[in-house]
This record gives sequence, structure tokens and C-alpha cells, in this order.
Amino acid sequence: MQTSLPKSPSEVPRSMKHTCEHQSDCLKFIQMVLDGAATEKDLDQLQRNLESCQPCIEMYHLEKEVKALLQNRMEKRCCPEQLIESIRTRIATFS
Amino acid sequence: MPETMSDTTPTRGYTDDQKYQIFNKEFMPHIDSMYNFAFRLTMDEDDANDLVQDTYLKAFRFISSFEQGTNAKAWLFRILKNSFINDYRKKSKEPAKVDYQDVETTYNSEDSETEHTVDLRAETVSDLIGDEVATALNSLPVDFRTVIILCDIEGFTYEEMAKILDIPIGTVRSRLHRARNLLKEKLRDYAASMGYNENIDD
Repeated sequence: MQTSLPKSPSEVPRSMKHTCEHQSDCLKFIQMVLDGAATEKDLDQLQRNLESCQPCIEMYHLEKEVKALLQNRMEKRCCPEQLIESIRTRIATFS
Repeated sequence: MPETMSDTTPTRGYTDDQKYQIFNKEFMPHIDSMYNFAFRLTMDEDDANDLVQDTYLKAFRFISSFEQGTNAKAWLFRILKNSFINDYRKKSKEPAKVDYQDVETTYNSEDSETEHTVDLRAETVSDLIGDEVATALNSLPVDFRTVIILCDIEGFTYEEMAKILDIPIGTVRSRLHRARNLLKEKLRDYAASMGYNENIDD
């Protein structure tokens, strides 16, 4: 879906729309797409916005970056072995 | 704990062997995710331990209301979330106790027409490290923190989140939207305080 996206806002041609009057709706829309909740039609619409609207491009990059931070950079802990043992022991004495 | 989806799921007569099999094959593989969820909700190791243990014991006790082969992870997350609300929320170490309803009302009234977008650039955010993101996330009220954890960290769909949280999908979407705006505000403030430059480009 991101094959033809400009790499960064600075590479965008000048014919772009620089302000957007429905930015908040666009933002919700972008989030749905990134959350995998969009239809084919939604994806087409986003693609068009990303070719013509600077605020959409910037929002898209920001939302994607924040999501990636949350997915990839947050510490993931392992459940302590002791806790697993304790659960198994307690379950074994049930029923 | 009758709220555990027993309202929609008929009781199943599993044998003891089947119960242990479901427990080991369908419940235990999610224990690391469950532990991380518990830790991010309580922000305390001991509380996270207790919460995960309680949740797994409840899951076993009410295993007959779980339909084998269905979404065990969402089922477990729902039990954990309910246990957290019922047993831990009161004593959890929330930095600032903010009632979710208050926050939602404030946001609705302030921004019903001109909902703000946060002035922040992807380039600024990409310099942040995990601890900084975690600090920003932890500073959000727990209901906002929860939707971000479920969606962005655990990858649940809107529909799964609606079931886990017992709220309509529309509410999932709007809560997530507000949670992300709050998170971006925190990230922006954090980046500014650390002196990350907002306007580095020519």
C-alpha cells in the first residue's frame, strides 16, 4: 500500500494542498488504515490523499512512526518462571 | 466470576483431561503477553504477578465457558481487565487519578468541532527510545493507556477490543483517537524538554 508514497514530506512536489479543512477526519481515517480496519475503498481514498495533501502525508508518517515505536521499542518482559510454576502447581490441585 | 462471557457462551462439559489440555495448549502460550499487560496496567511487579495468577486461576475455574479453538487471548485479556478493575484499580499506583468519564467529557466539549491535531513531526518522534515512550504511555489515564496497549502493542482488532472492554466499536475508535492525541502531546512535550529540535530542516 505504501509503494508509491513519498519518502518524506520534503520530497513532496509544490502542487500539493498545504492546508486541510477536515484534518481531524483524515486523521481518524489514517488511524483506521494503519490499524488494519480499512476497506479497499478506504485504501484507495488514502492513496489519493497521500498524493495531493501535505497535512495527510505528515499525519500518516507521524501516526506510522508512533505506532512503530509502541510496537518495536517498548520493553517486553518475560513472565517470571516462578509465577508460571506457581500457577501450574495451583491448577494441578484443582478438581 | 459470572461476567466472563458466560452470558454469550453455553457451558461446556469438558473432562478433566480436556481442561488441562486447553489450559496448557490454549491459555499458557499467552502468559508473556498477559504478564506485560498486567505490568503495564498496574506498573508494579508484585501486583502484576498477583493479577496474572488470579486471572489464570479464574480462567481454569471458568474454563467451561470457554469454547475450545476460539480466541483464547482475547478471552484471557478480558478476564484480566475485569480483575484489574474489580481488585487492583483502587490500590494501583496511578500518578494522577483521572476519571475516564471526566476526561472524555472534557475532550468532547472542547473539541467537538475543531478537534485538534498535535503539532509533532515523525522525525522528532523517531529519536525517542523505548523508556521515553513508556514514560509517556504510563502518564496517560488507565483507560486511554489500555486501548493503546491492546491496539498498538498487542495488535487486537477493534472488534476484539470491543469484546475485551465491553464497549461498542465506535467507542473503541474514538477512545483510541483521543488516547493517541494525548500520547502525542506527551511525546511532544517530552521531546521539547529534551531539546530535540522541532524544525531541523532547512
